[in-house]
Amino acid sequence: MTDTRAATTMAISLCGDAAVRVAVDGDDTDQVWTAVHRLAGWLNHGGIHPTVTAVPTYDAVLVEFDPYYTTGEEIASLIRSWDTAAPVGEGGAAGGVIDVPVLFGGEAGPDLEWVADVVGHPVPKIIDLVCAGEPLIRCLGGPAASAMMDGPDFGLPIPRLATPRLRVPPGAVSVAGRQTVIGPVAAPSGWRQIGRTPLDILRTDTDTDTVVPYRPGDRVRFLPIDETGYAELLGTPMRYRHDD
Amino acid sequence: MTDRPQLYVDSARVCVVTDLGRVAGPARGLAVNGALDQFAARAANALVGNAPTDPLIEATGFGITFRPSHDVLLSVTGAPAEPAVDGRAHPAWTPLSVRAGETVRVGISDAGLRAYVAVHGSFDVPRLMGSCAPDSMIGFGTQVASGTVLPLLRSHPPLVNRRFGATVFHFGIPRDVGRVCSVLDVVDGPDAAEFGPGLQRLYDSPYTVTPRINHVGMRVAGPVPRRSVTGEVLSRGVPIGAVEAPTGDELLVLMRGRGITAGYPVLAVLTSRALDHAAQLRPGQTIRFHRTTASAATAAYLERRRLLDRVALRARTAFAALV
Repeated sequence: MTDTRAATTMAISLCGDAAVRVAVDGDDTDQVWTAVHRLAGWLNHGGIHPTVTAVPTYDAVLVEFDPYYTTGEEIASLIRSWDTAAPVGEGGAAGGVIDVPVLFGGEAGPDLEWVADVVGHPVPKIIDLVCAGEPLIRCLGGPAASAMMDGPDFGLPIPRLATPRLRVPPGAVSVAGRQTVIGPVAAPSGWRQIGRTPLDILRTDTDTDTVVPYRPGDRVRFLPIDETGYAELLGTPMRYRHDD
Repeated sequence: MTDRPQLYVDSARVCVVTDLGRVAGPARGLAVNGALDQFAARAANALVGNAPTDPLIEATGFGITFRPSHDVLLSVTGAPAEPAVDGRAHPAWTPLSVRAGETVRVGISDAGLRAYVAVHGSFDVPRLMGSCAPDSMIGFGTQVASGTVLPLLRSHPPLVNRRFGATVFHFGIPRDVGRVCSVLDVVDGPDAAEFGPGLQRLYDSPYTVTPRINHVGMRVAGPVPRRSVTGEVLSRGVPIGAVEAPTGDELLVLMRGRGITAGYPVLAVLTSRALDHAAQLRPGQTIRFHRTTASAATAAYLERRRLLDRVALRARTAFAALV
Protein backbone atom coordinates (compact mmCIF):
# COMPACT_ATOMS: atom_id res chain seq x y z
CA MET A 1 0.00 0.00 0.00
CA THR A 2 1.41 3.33 -1.01
CA ASP A 3 1.49 5.93 1.70
CA THR A 4 -0.14 8.91 -0.01
CA ARG A 5 0.40 11.23 2.97
CA ALA A 6 4.03 11.87 2.30
CA ALA A 7 3.64 12.27 -1.44
CA THR A 8 0.63 14.56 -1.75
CA THR A 9 -0.65 17.80 -0.27
CA MET A 10 -4.19 19.13 -0.15
CA ALA A 11 -5.42 22.66 -0.73
CA ILE A 12 -9.02 23.26 0.32
CA SER A 13 -11.02 26.23 -0.99
CA LEU A 14 -14.59 27.24 -0.28
CA CYS A 15 -17.03 27.19 -3.22
CA GLY A 16 -19.91 29.27 -1.88
CA ASP A 17 -21.86 28.00 1.16
CA ALA A 18 -22.61 24.49 -0.17
CA ALA A 19 -19.35 23.12 -1.59
CA VAL A 20 -15.60 22.99 -1.09
CA ARG A 21 -12.90 22.07 -3.57
CA VAL A 22 -10.05 19.87 -2.42
CA ALA A 23 -7.11 20.14 -4.82
CA VAL A 24 -4.42 17.50 -4.38
CA ASP A 25 -0.87 18.21 -5.44
CA GLY A 26 2.08 15.86 -5.76
CA ASP A 27 4.88 14.71 -8.05
CA ASP A 28 3.30 11.40 -9.00
CA THR A 29 0.02 11.78 -10.93
CA ASP A 30 -1.04 8.22 -10.02
CA GLN A 31 -0.58 8.96 -6.34
CA VAL A 32 -2.53 12.20 -6.69
CA TRP A 33 -5.34 10.38 -8.50
CA THR A 34 -5.39 7.60 -5.91
CA ALA A 35 -5.59 10.10 -3.06
CA VAL A 36 -8.42 11.99 -4.82
CA HIS A 37 -10.47 8.85 -5.36
CA ARG A 38 -9.85 7.45 -1.88
CA LEU A 39 -11.02 10.73 -0.38
CA ALA A 40 -14.12 10.76 -2.61
CA GLY A 41 -14.86 7.13 -1.72
CA TRP A 42 -14.71 7.95 1.97
CA LEU A 43 -16.95 11.02 1.58
CA ASN A 44 -19.50 9.25 -0.63
CA HIS A 45 -19.93 6.52 1.94
CA GLY A 46 -20.88 8.76 4.81
CA GLY A 47 -17.37 9.57 6.05
CA ILE A 48 -18.48 13.00 7.25
CA HIS A 49 -22.25 13.06 6.85
CA PRO A 50 -24.67 11.15 4.63
CA THR A 51 -25.76 14.33 2.82
CA VAL A 52 -22.22 15.02 1.65
CA THR A 53 -21.39 13.96 -1.92
CA ALA A 54 -18.06 14.08 -3.69
CA VAL A 55 -17.17 14.47 -7.36
CA PRO A 56 -13.62 13.20 -7.93
CA THR A 57 -11.67 14.11 -11.07
CA TYR A 58 -7.91 13.96 -11.77
CA ASP A 59 -6.40 16.14 -9.08
CA ALA A 60 -9.42 17.52 -7.23
CA VAL A 61 -12.56 16.55 -5.35
CA LEU A 62 -15.62 18.80 -5.35
CA VAL A 63 -17.42 18.17 -2.06
CA GLU A 64 -21.07 19.25 -2.03
CA PHE A 65 -23.17 19.44 1.10
CA ASP A 66 -26.42 20.78 2.51
CA PRO A 67 -25.52 23.88 4.57
CA TYR A 68 -28.39 22.96 6.90
CA TYR A 69 -26.20 20.20 8.36
CA THR A 70 -22.62 21.40 8.09
CA THR A 71 -20.33 24.15 6.82
CA GLY A 72 -17.39 24.30 4.46
CA GLU A 73 -15.10 25.14 7.38
CA GLU A 74 -16.24 22.05 9.27
CA ILE A 75 -15.78 19.85 6.23
CA ALA A 76 -12.35 21.31 5.52
CA SER A 77 -11.27 20.60 9.06
CA LEU A 78 -12.55 17.00 8.96
CA ILE A 79 -10.85 16.38 5.62
CA ARG A 80 -7.54 17.72 6.96
CA SER A 81 -7.69 15.21 9.78
CA TRP A 82 -8.74 12.34 7.48
CA ASP A 83 -6.42 9.37 7.66
CA THR A 84 -5.44 8.81 4.03
CA ALA A 85 -4.42 5.23 4.80
CA ALA A 86 -7.74 4.28 6.40
CA PRO A 87 -9.99 1.80 4.59
CA VAL A 88 -12.70 3.43 2.47
CA GLY A 89 -14.94 0.40 2.03
CA GLU A 90 -16.71 -0.02 -1.27
CA GLY A 91 -16.10 3.61 -2.11
CA GLY A 92 -12.57 2.91 -3.28
CA ALA A 93 -11.61 2.56 -6.91
CA ALA A 94 -13.85 0.02 -8.64
CA GLY A 95 -11.51 -2.27 -10.58
CA GLY A 96 -13.86 -4.06 -13.00
CA VAL A 97 -13.21 -4.51 -16.72
CA ILE A 98 -15.65 -3.45 -19.44
CA ASP A 99 -15.34 -4.74 -23.01
CA VAL A 100 -16.30 -2.00 -25.44
CA PRO A 101 -16.76 -3.06 -29.08
CA VAL A 102 -16.06 -0.13 -31.42
CA LEU A 103 -16.76 0.47 -35.09
CA PHE A 104 -13.83 2.66 -36.19
CA GLY A 105 -13.79 5.23 -38.99
CA GLY A 106 -16.43 6.14 -41.56
CA GLU A 107 -19.56 7.79 -40.20
CA ALA A 108 -18.87 6.17 -36.83
CA GLY A 109 -15.46 7.84 -36.61
CA PRO A 110 -15.26 10.84 -38.94
CA ASP A 111 -11.92 12.02 -37.49
CA LEU A 112 -10.03 8.69 -37.59
CA GLU A 113 -8.10 9.47 -40.78
CA TRP A 114 -7.39 13.02 -39.63
CA VAL A 115 -5.90 11.64 -36.39
CA ALA A 116 -3.82 9.13 -38.41
CA ASP A 117 -2.47 12.01 -40.53
CA VAL A 118 -1.60 14.15 -37.50
CA VAL A 119 0.11 11.27 -35.72
CA GLY A 120 1.84 10.01 -38.85
CA HIS A 121 0.66 6.38 -38.57
CA PRO A 122 -1.57 4.37 -40.90
CA VAL A 123 -5.19 3.96 -39.77
CA PRO A 124 -4.81 0.26 -38.71
CA LYS A 125 -1.93 1.25 -36.43
CA ILE A 126 -4.11 3.91 -34.78
CA ILE A 127 -6.82 1.29 -34.15
CA ASP A 128 -4.16 -1.08 -32.73
CA LEU A 129 -2.95 1.63 -30.36
CA VAL A 130 -6.49 2.38 -29.14
CA CYS A 131 -7.21 -1.33 -28.61
CA ALA A 132 -3.89 -2.13 -26.90
CA GLY A 133 -3.94 -2.40 -23.14
CA GLU A 134 -6.77 -1.74 -20.75
CA PRO A 135 -6.88 1.98 -19.94
CA LEU A 136 -8.15 3.07 -16.54
CA ILE A 137 -11.30 5.18 -16.28
CA ARG A 138 -9.81 8.16 -14.46
CA CYS A 139 -13.03 10.05 -13.85
CA LEU A 140 -16.54 10.72 -15.09
CA GLY A 141 -16.88 14.01 -16.90
CA GLY A 142 -19.57 16.13 -18.41
CA PRO A 143 -21.88 15.65 -20.08
CA ALA A 144 -23.66 12.79 -18.37
CA ALA A 145 -20.98 10.52 -16.95
CA SER A 146 -18.62 10.42 -19.93
CA ALA A 147 -15.84 7.90 -19.20
CA MET A 148 -12.46 9.69 -19.32
CA MET A 149 -9.32 7.58 -19.87
CA ASP A 150 -5.59 8.20 -20.26
CA GLY A 151 -4.00 7.44 -23.59
CA PRO A 152 -3.47 5.88 -26.01
CA ASP A 153 0.11 6.98 -26.44
CA PHE A 154 0.13 8.46 -29.94
CA GLY A 155 3.47 10.18 -29.21
CA LEU A 156 1.93 13.66 -29.33
CA PRO A 157 -1.23 15.36 -28.06
CA ILE A 158 -4.26 15.43 -30.39
CA PRO A 159 -5.60 18.97 -30.98
CA ARG A 160 -9.31 19.59 -30.50
CA LEU A 161 -11.61 20.77 -33.27
CA ALA A 162 -11.46 24.55 -33.78
CA THR A 163 -15.25 24.58 -33.95
CA PRO A 164 -16.93 21.93 -31.79
CA ARG A 165 -19.52 19.69 -33.42
CA LEU A 166 -23.03 20.55 -32.30
CA ARG A 167 -23.90 16.91 -31.88
CA VAL A 168 -21.89 13.75 -31.57
CA PRO A 169 -24.02 10.62 -31.22
CA PRO A 170 -24.34 8.46 -28.10
CA GLY A 171 -21.54 5.89 -27.83
CA ALA A 172 -18.95 8.09 -29.57
CA VAL A 173 -15.33 7.20 -28.79
CA SER A 174 -13.19 10.33 -29.11
CA VAL A 175 -9.66 11.49 -28.42
CA ALA A 176 -8.14 14.85 -27.49
CA GLY A 177 -4.88 15.80 -25.86
CA ARG A 178 -3.60 12.52 -24.43
CA GLN A 179 -7.02 11.22 -23.45
CA THR A 180 -9.84 9.04 -24.73
CA VAL A 181 -13.51 9.48 -23.82
CA ILE A 182 -16.68 7.43 -24.29
CA GLY A 183 -19.73 9.71 -24.41
CA PRO A 184 -22.96 8.00 -23.34
CA VAL A 185 -25.35 10.66 -24.70
CA ALA A 186 -25.71 12.87 -27.76
CA ALA A 187 -23.94 16.14 -27.02
CA PRO A 188 -21.79 18.90 -28.52
CA SER A 189 -18.08 18.08 -28.52
CA GLY A 190 -14.77 19.44 -29.71
CA TRP A 191 -13.00 16.09 -29.34
CA ARG A 192 -11.92 14.01 -32.36
CA GLN A 193 -14.45 11.23 -32.91
CA ILE A 194 -12.65 8.09 -34.11
CA GLY A 195 -15.33 5.44 -33.54
CA ARG A 196 -18.61 4.49 -31.96
CA THR A 197 -19.79 1.66 -29.75
CA PRO A 198 -23.20 0.06 -30.41
CA LEU A 199 -23.69 -0.68 -26.69
CA ASP A 200 -26.41 1.06 -24.68
CA ILE A 201 -24.48 2.81 -21.93
CA LEU A 202 -26.90 4.50 -19.54
CA ARG A 203 -29.90 2.59 -18.15
CA THR A 204 -32.72 5.00 -17.38
CA ASP A 205 -35.54 2.46 -17.66
CA THR A 206 -35.16 1.06 -14.17
CA ASP A 207 -34.53 2.69 -10.85
CA THR A 208 -31.37 0.83 -10.05
CA ASP A 209 -27.90 1.70 -8.90
CA THR A 210 -26.52 0.68 -12.29
CA VAL A 211 -27.70 3.69 -14.29
CA VAL A 212 -24.05 4.40 -15.09
CA PRO A 213 -22.38 1.00 -15.75
CA TYR A 214 -18.82 2.01 -14.80
CA ARG A 215 -16.91 3.83 -12.09
CA PRO A 216 -13.56 5.55 -11.91
CA GLY A 217 -10.99 2.80 -11.36
CA ASP A 218 -12.59 0.40 -13.84
CA ARG A 219 -10.65 -0.59 -16.95
CA VAL A 220 -11.83 -0.56 -20.56
CA ARG A 221 -10.88 -2.95 -23.34
CA PHE A 222 -11.68 -1.57 -26.82
CA LEU A 223 -12.41 -4.29 -29.42
CA PRO A 224 -12.64 -3.43 -33.12
CA ILE A 225 -15.81 -4.61 -34.89
CA ASP A 226 -17.17 -4.27 -38.42
CA GLU A 227 -20.56 -2.97 -39.53
CA THR A 228 -22.17 -6.41 -39.20
CA GLY A 229 -20.87 -6.73 -35.64
CA TYR A 230 -22.13 -3.21 -34.92
CA ALA A 231 -25.63 -4.06 -36.15
CA GLU A 232 -25.68 -7.30 -34.12
CA LEU A 233 -24.63 -5.59 -30.90
CA LEU A 234 -26.74 -2.45 -31.28
CA GLY A 235 -28.67 -1.79 -28.08
CA THR A 236 -26.88 -4.42 -25.97
CA PRO A 237 -26.42 -3.07 -22.43
CA MET A 238 -22.86 -2.19 -21.42
CA ARG A 239 -21.73 -4.22 -18.43
CA TYR A 240 -18.72 -5.70 -16.70
CA ARG A 241 -16.93 -8.55 -18.49
CA HIS A 242 -17.53 -10.92 -15.59
CA ASP A 243 -21.23 -10.18 -15.38
CA ASP A 244 -21.88 -12.03 -18.64
CA MET B 1 -62.94 7.14 -14.98
CA THR B 2 -60.88 5.55 -12.29
CA ASP B 3 -60.99 5.64 -8.54
CA ARG B 4 -57.38 6.57 -8.51
CA PRO B 5 -56.92 10.32 -7.95
CA GLN B 6 -55.43 12.13 -10.92
CA LEU B 7 -54.68 15.62 -12.09
CA TYR B 8 -55.91 16.41 -15.61
CA VAL B 9 -53.70 19.08 -17.13
CA ASP B 10 -55.74 21.29 -19.47
CA SER B 11 -52.92 23.58 -20.46
CA ALA B 12 -49.20 23.73 -19.72
CA ARG B 13 -46.12 24.75 -21.67
CA VAL B 14 -42.70 24.58 -20.02
CA CYS B 15 -43.62 22.40 -17.12
CA VAL B 16 -42.24 19.28 -15.39
CA VAL B 17 -42.66 17.12 -12.32
CA THR B 18 -39.51 17.46 -10.24
CA ASP B 19 -38.18 17.32 -6.68
CA LEU B 20 -35.16 18.58 -4.77
CA GLY B 21 -32.81 16.76 -7.16
CA ARG B 22 -30.84 13.61 -7.78
CA VAL B 23 -28.40 13.95 -4.88
CA ALA B 24 -26.83 10.57 -5.69
CA GLY B 25 -26.18 11.76 -9.27
CA PRO B 26 -22.98 13.83 -9.06
CA ALA B 27 -20.96 11.03 -7.46
CA ARG B 28 -21.92 8.90 -10.50
CA GLY B 29 -21.28 11.58 -13.10
CA LEU B 30 -24.87 12.85 -13.47
CA ALA B 31 -26.21 16.34 -12.78
CA VAL B 32 -28.20 16.84 -9.59
CA ASN B 33 -31.00 18.80 -11.35
CA GLY B 34 -34.24 19.35 -9.40
CA ALA B 35 -36.27 22.46 -8.56
CA LEU B 36 -34.31 25.61 -9.34
CA ASP B 37 -36.04 27.58 -6.57
CA GLN B 38 -35.38 25.10 -3.78
CA PHE B 39 -36.94 27.29 -1.09
CA ALA B 40 -40.22 27.61 -3.00
CA ALA B 41 -40.25 23.86 -3.70
CA ARG B 42 -39.58 22.99 -0.06
CA ALA B 43 -42.23 25.46 1.06
CA ALA B 44 -44.84 24.07 -1.34
CA ASN B 45 -44.39 20.56 0.05
CA ALA B 46 -44.23 21.76 3.67
CA LEU B 47 -47.55 23.63 3.29
CA VAL B 48 -49.41 20.45 2.33
CA GLY B 49 -47.74 18.18 4.85
CA ASN B 50 -45.50 16.37 2.36
CA ALA B 51 -41.90 15.28 2.76
CA PRO B 52 -39.39 17.83 1.41
CA THR B 53 -38.26 15.39 -1.30
CA ASP B 54 -41.77 14.61 -2.62
CA PRO B 55 -42.39 15.22 -6.35
CA LEU B 56 -44.14 18.46 -7.31
CA ILE B 57 -44.83 20.55 -10.43
CA GLU B 58 -42.38 23.20 -11.64
CA ALA B 59 -43.90 25.57 -14.23
CA THR B 60 -41.43 27.88 -15.98
CA GLY B 61 -42.40 31.13 -17.69
CA PHE B 62 -45.94 30.13 -18.49
CA GLY B 63 -48.88 29.20 -16.32
CA ILE B 64 -50.65 25.89 -15.90
CA THR B 65 -54.34 24.96 -15.76
CA PHE B 66 -55.50 21.64 -14.31
CA ARG B 67 -58.47 19.78 -12.77
CA PRO B 68 -58.25 17.14 -10.03
CA SER B 69 -60.43 14.02 -10.32
CA HIS B 70 -60.86 13.95 -6.53
CA ASP B 71 -60.82 16.49 -3.70
CA VAL B 72 -57.23 17.50 -3.11
CA LEU B 73 -55.17 19.80 -0.92
CA LEU B 74 -52.53 21.76 -2.79
CA SER B 75 -50.24 24.75 -2.49
CA VAL B 76 -48.76 27.18 -4.98
CA THR B 77 -45.43 28.90 -4.33
CA GLY B 78 -42.61 30.51 -6.27
CA ALA B 79 -43.11 33.32 -8.76
CA PRO B 80 -45.70 35.89 -7.63
CA ALA B 81 -48.97 34.32 -8.72
CA GLU B 82 -52.52 34.18 -7.46
CA PRO B 83 -53.94 30.74 -8.07
CA ALA B 84 -57.57 30.86 -9.16
CA VAL B 85 -60.10 28.08 -8.55
CA ASP B 86 -63.01 28.21 -11.00
CA GLY B 87 -62.08 31.86 -11.53
CA ARG B 88 -61.93 32.84 -7.84
CA ALA B 89 -58.53 34.12 -6.73
CA HIS B 90 -56.81 32.56 -3.73
CA PRO B 91 -53.57 33.50 -2.02
CA ALA B 92 -50.36 31.64 -2.83
CA TRP B 93 -47.95 30.26 -0.18
CA THR B 94 -50.82 28.71 1.82
CA PRO B 95 -52.73 25.40 1.68
CA LEU B 96 -55.66 25.40 -0.72
CA SER B 97 -58.48 22.86 -0.86
CA VAL B 98 -59.78 22.08 -4.32
CA ARG B 99 -62.88 19.99 -5.03
CA ALA B 100 -63.04 17.26 -7.62
CA GLY B 101 -63.58 18.74 -11.07
CA GLU B 102 -62.79 22.36 -10.17
CA THR B 103 -60.41 24.13 -12.55
CA VAL B 104 -57.22 25.54 -11.05
CA ARG B 105 -55.33 28.20 -13.00
CA VAL B 106 -51.83 29.17 -11.86
CA GLY B 107 -50.47 32.17 -13.73
CA ILE B 108 -46.92 33.46 -13.52
CA SER B 109 -46.57 37.22 -13.32
CA ASP B 110 -43.79 39.20 -14.97
CA ALA B 111 -42.21 39.55 -11.55
CA GLY B 112 -40.91 35.97 -11.55
CA LEU B 113 -40.25 32.93 -13.69
CA ARG B 114 -41.05 29.70 -11.87
CA ALA B 115 -44.08 28.52 -9.92
CA TYR B 116 -44.41 25.32 -7.88
CA VAL B 117 -47.52 23.27 -7.24
CA ALA B 118 -47.45 20.62 -4.52
CA VAL B 119 -50.39 18.29 -3.86
CA HIS B 120 -50.89 16.55 -0.50
CA GLY B 121 -49.76 12.95 -0.98
CA SER B 122 -47.77 13.93 -4.06
CA PHE B 123 -47.49 12.48 -7.58
CA ASP B 124 -46.82 8.89 -8.55
CA VAL B 125 -44.06 9.29 -11.14
CA PRO B 126 -40.97 7.26 -12.14
CA ARG B 127 -37.74 7.88 -10.25
CA LEU B 128 -34.14 7.32 -11.15
CA MET B 129 -31.56 6.91 -8.41
CA GLY B 130 -34.22 7.99 -5.92
CA SER B 131 -35.29 11.17 -7.71
CA CYS B 132 -37.93 12.09 -10.29
CA ALA B 133 -35.96 15.22 -11.33
CA PRO B 134 -35.89 15.49 -15.12
CA ASP B 135 -32.50 15.19 -16.82
CA SER B 136 -32.78 16.31 -20.43
CA MET B 137 -29.22 15.14 -21.14
CA ILE B 138 -29.99 11.50 -20.39
CA GLY B 139 -33.63 11.68 -21.47
CA PHE B 140 -35.34 11.07 -18.15
CA GLY B 141 -38.27 12.80 -16.48
CA THR B 142 -41.98 13.54 -16.45
CA GLN B 143 -42.86 16.43 -18.76
CA VAL B 144 -46.21 18.10 -18.24
CA ALA B 145 -48.05 19.32 -21.33
CA SER B 146 -51.64 20.08 -22.28
CA GLY B 147 -53.49 16.77 -22.00
CA THR B 148 -51.08 15.15 -19.54
CA VAL B 149 -52.74 13.09 -16.80
CA LEU B 150 -50.69 12.97 -13.60
CA PRO B 151 -51.43 10.14 -11.14
CA LEU B 152 -51.76 11.20 -7.51
CA LEU B 153 -51.01 9.00 -4.53
CA ARG B 154 -53.85 10.32 -2.32
CA SER B 155 -56.90 12.53 -2.28
CA HIS B 156 -57.73 14.85 0.62
CA PRO B 157 -61.08 15.86 2.10
CA PRO B 158 -61.95 19.56 1.72
CA LEU B 159 -60.54 21.88 4.36
CA VAL B 160 -61.79 25.23 3.14
CA ASN B 161 -64.60 27.08 4.83
CA ARG B 162 -66.71 27.67 1.72
CA ARG B 163 -68.90 30.25 3.45
CA PHE B 164 -65.93 32.58 3.85
CA GLY B 165 -64.34 31.37 0.63
CA ALA B 166 -60.92 31.47 2.18
CA THR B 167 -58.26 29.09 3.35
CA VAL B 168 -58.52 28.29 7.02
CA PHE B 169 -54.81 28.10 7.72
CA HIS B 170 -52.00 30.50 8.23
CA PHE B 171 -48.69 28.80 8.78
CA GLY B 172 -46.52 31.84 9.34
CA ILE B 173 -44.99 32.41 5.94
CA PRO B 174 -44.11 36.12 5.68
CA ARG B 175 -46.11 38.20 3.22
CA ASP B 176 -43.08 39.26 1.17
CA VAL B 177 -41.74 35.73 0.76
CA GLY B 178 -42.19 35.54 -3.00
CA ARG B 179 -40.56 38.90 -3.72
CA VAL B 180 -38.03 38.58 -6.52
CA CYS B 181 -34.59 39.89 -5.62
CA SER B 182 -32.25 41.25 -8.30
CA VAL B 183 -29.16 41.43 -6.09
CA LEU B 184 -27.39 38.07 -6.05
CA ASP B 185 -25.13 37.28 -3.11
CA VAL B 186 -21.91 35.57 -4.13
CA VAL B 187 -18.79 34.35 -2.37
CA ASP B 188 -15.40 34.73 -4.03
CA GLY B 189 -14.76 31.55 -6.03
CA PRO B 190 -11.89 29.08 -5.64
CA ASP B 191 -10.14 30.65 -8.68
CA ALA B 192 -10.88 34.28 -7.78
CA ALA B 193 -7.17 35.05 -7.33
CA GLU B 194 -6.54 34.29 -11.02
CA PHE B 195 -8.54 37.40 -11.93
CA GLY B 196 -6.43 39.80 -9.85
CA PRO B 197 -7.87 43.30 -9.33
CA GLY B 198 -10.13 42.74 -12.38
CA LEU B 199 -12.42 40.67 -10.14
CA GLN B 200 -13.73 43.92 -8.65
CA ARG B 201 -15.58 44.62 -11.92
CA LEU B 202 -17.91 41.75 -11.05
CA TYR B 203 -19.06 43.67 -7.98
CA ASP B 204 -19.05 47.17 -9.49
CA SER B 205 -21.02 46.55 -12.67
CA PRO B 206 -24.67 45.90 -13.49
CA TYR B 207 -25.41 42.84 -15.64
CA THR B 208 -28.40 42.04 -17.84
CA VAL B 209 -30.06 38.64 -17.84
CA THR B 210 -30.06 37.31 -21.42
CA PRO B 211 -32.73 35.02 -22.92
CA ARG B 212 -30.23 32.17 -22.67
CA ILE B 213 -31.59 30.71 -19.44
CA ASN B 214 -32.30 27.08 -18.72
CA HIS B 215 -31.77 24.40 -16.10
CA VAL B 216 -28.08 24.19 -16.99
CA GLY B 217 -27.16 27.82 -16.75
CA MET B 218 -27.97 31.47 -17.08
CA ARG B 219 -25.97 33.86 -19.27
CA VAL B 220 -25.71 37.46 -18.10
CA ALA B 221 -24.30 40.27 -20.26
CA GLY B 222 -21.92 42.89 -18.94
CA PRO B 223 -18.23 43.47 -18.21
CA VAL B 224 -16.39 40.15 -18.05
CA PRO B 225 -13.37 40.02 -15.73
CA ARG B 226 -10.36 38.42 -17.44
CA ARG B 227 -7.85 36.02 -15.94
CA SER B 228 -4.47 37.55 -15.23
CA VAL B 229 -2.83 34.13 -15.65
CA THR B 230 -2.88 31.81 -18.63
CA GLY B 231 -2.71 28.06 -18.98
CA GLU B 232 -5.20 25.24 -19.26
CA VAL B 233 -6.75 23.81 -16.13
CA LEU B 234 -7.58 20.12 -15.77
CA SER B 235 -11.28 19.26 -15.76
CA ARG B 236 -12.60 19.62 -12.24
CA GLY B 237 -15.90 19.33 -10.45
CA VAL B 238 -17.68 22.65 -10.71
CA PRO B 239 -20.11 23.86 -8.03
CA ILE B 240 -23.74 24.77 -8.69
CA GLY B 241 -23.92 28.56 -8.75
CA ALA B 242 -20.43 28.91 -10.21
CA VAL B 243 -19.94 32.21 -12.04
CA GLU B 244 -17.64 31.43 -14.95
CA ALA B 245 -16.02 33.69 -17.52
CA PRO B 246 -15.90 31.98 -20.91
CA THR B 247 -14.54 34.02 -23.82
CA GLY B 248 -17.03 36.63 -25.01
CA ASP B 249 -18.97 39.37 -23.29
CA GLU B 250 -21.23 37.25 -21.12
CA LEU B 251 -20.81 35.55 -17.76
CA LEU B 252 -22.17 32.06 -17.28
CA VAL B 253 -23.93 31.23 -14.01
CA LEU B 254 -24.26 27.47 -13.61
CA MET B 255 -27.57 26.11 -12.39
CA ARG B 256 -28.59 22.67 -11.11
CA GLY B 257 -28.52 20.92 -14.50
CA ARG B 258 -24.85 21.69 -15.02
CA GLY B 259 -22.48 18.99 -16.15
CA ILE B 260 -20.46 18.10 -13.11
CA THR B 261 -17.05 18.97 -14.56
CA ALA B 262 -15.70 21.89 -16.55
CA GLY B 263 -12.45 23.58 -17.39
CA TYR B 264 -13.28 27.25 -16.85
CA PRO B 265 -11.99 29.04 -13.76
CA VAL B 266 -14.68 29.91 -11.20
CA LEU B 267 -14.53 33.57 -10.18
CA ALA B 268 -17.44 33.54 -7.74
CA VAL B 269 -20.18 31.21 -6.48
CA LEU B 270 -23.80 32.15 -5.80
CA THR B 271 -24.98 31.45 -2.28
CA SER B 272 -27.77 28.91 -1.81
CA ARG B 273 -30.23 31.76 -1.18
CA ALA B 274 -29.04 33.61 -4.27
CA LEU B 275 -29.64 30.47 -6.37
CA ASP B 276 -33.31 30.60 -5.35
CA HIS B 277 -33.42 34.27 -6.41
CA ALA B 278 -31.63 33.51 -9.70
CA ALA B 279 -34.27 30.87 -10.48
CA GLN B 280 -36.88 33.65 -10.66
CA LEU B 281 -34.99 36.08 -12.93
CA ARG B 282 -36.42 36.89 -16.34
CA PRO B 283 -34.55 37.92 -19.52
CA GLY B 284 -33.90 41.64 -19.65
CA GLN B 285 -33.70 42.13 -15.89
CA THR B 286 -30.77 44.07 -14.51
CA ILE B 287 -28.93 42.33 -11.69
CA ARG B 288 -25.94 42.98 -9.47
CA PHE B 289 -23.55 40.61 -7.75
CA HIS B 290 -23.04 41.38 -4.08
CA ARG B 291 -19.96 40.00 -2.34
CA THR B 292 -20.63 38.19 0.91
CA THR B 293 -18.94 35.53 3.04
CA ALA B 294 -19.70 31.84 3.33
CA SER B 295 -20.57 32.24 7.01
CA ALA B 296 -23.03 35.08 6.30
CA ALA B 297 -24.52 32.96 3.50
CA THR B 298 -24.93 29.99 5.83
CA ALA B 299 -26.65 32.17 8.44
CA ALA B 300 -29.11 33.49 5.82
CA TYR B 301 -29.76 29.97 4.56
CA LEU B 302 -30.36 28.57 8.05
CA GLU B 303 -32.83 31.34 8.83
CA ARG B 304 -34.92 30.30 5.80
CA ARG B 305 -34.67 26.57 6.46
CA ARG B 306 -35.74 27.07 10.08
CA LEU B 307 -38.73 29.05 8.86
CA LEU B 308 -39.61 26.05 6.68
CA ASP B 309 -39.16 23.69 9.64
CA ARG B 310 -41.73 25.74 11.58
CA VAL B 311 -44.15 25.78 8.64
CA ALA B 312 -43.79 22.02 8.12
CA LEU B 313 -44.39 21.33 11.81
CA ARG B 314 -47.47 23.56 11.95
CA ALA B 315 -48.88 22.01 8.78
CA ARG B 316 -48.35 18.44 9.97
CA THR B 317 -49.86 19.24 13.36
CA ALA B 318 -52.88 20.97 11.82
CA PHE B 319 -53.59 18.22 9.30
CA ALA B 320 -53.09 15.48 11.92
CA ALA B 321 -55.65 17.18 14.16
CA LEU B 322 -58.22 17.09 11.36
CA VAL B 323 -58.00 13.38 10.61
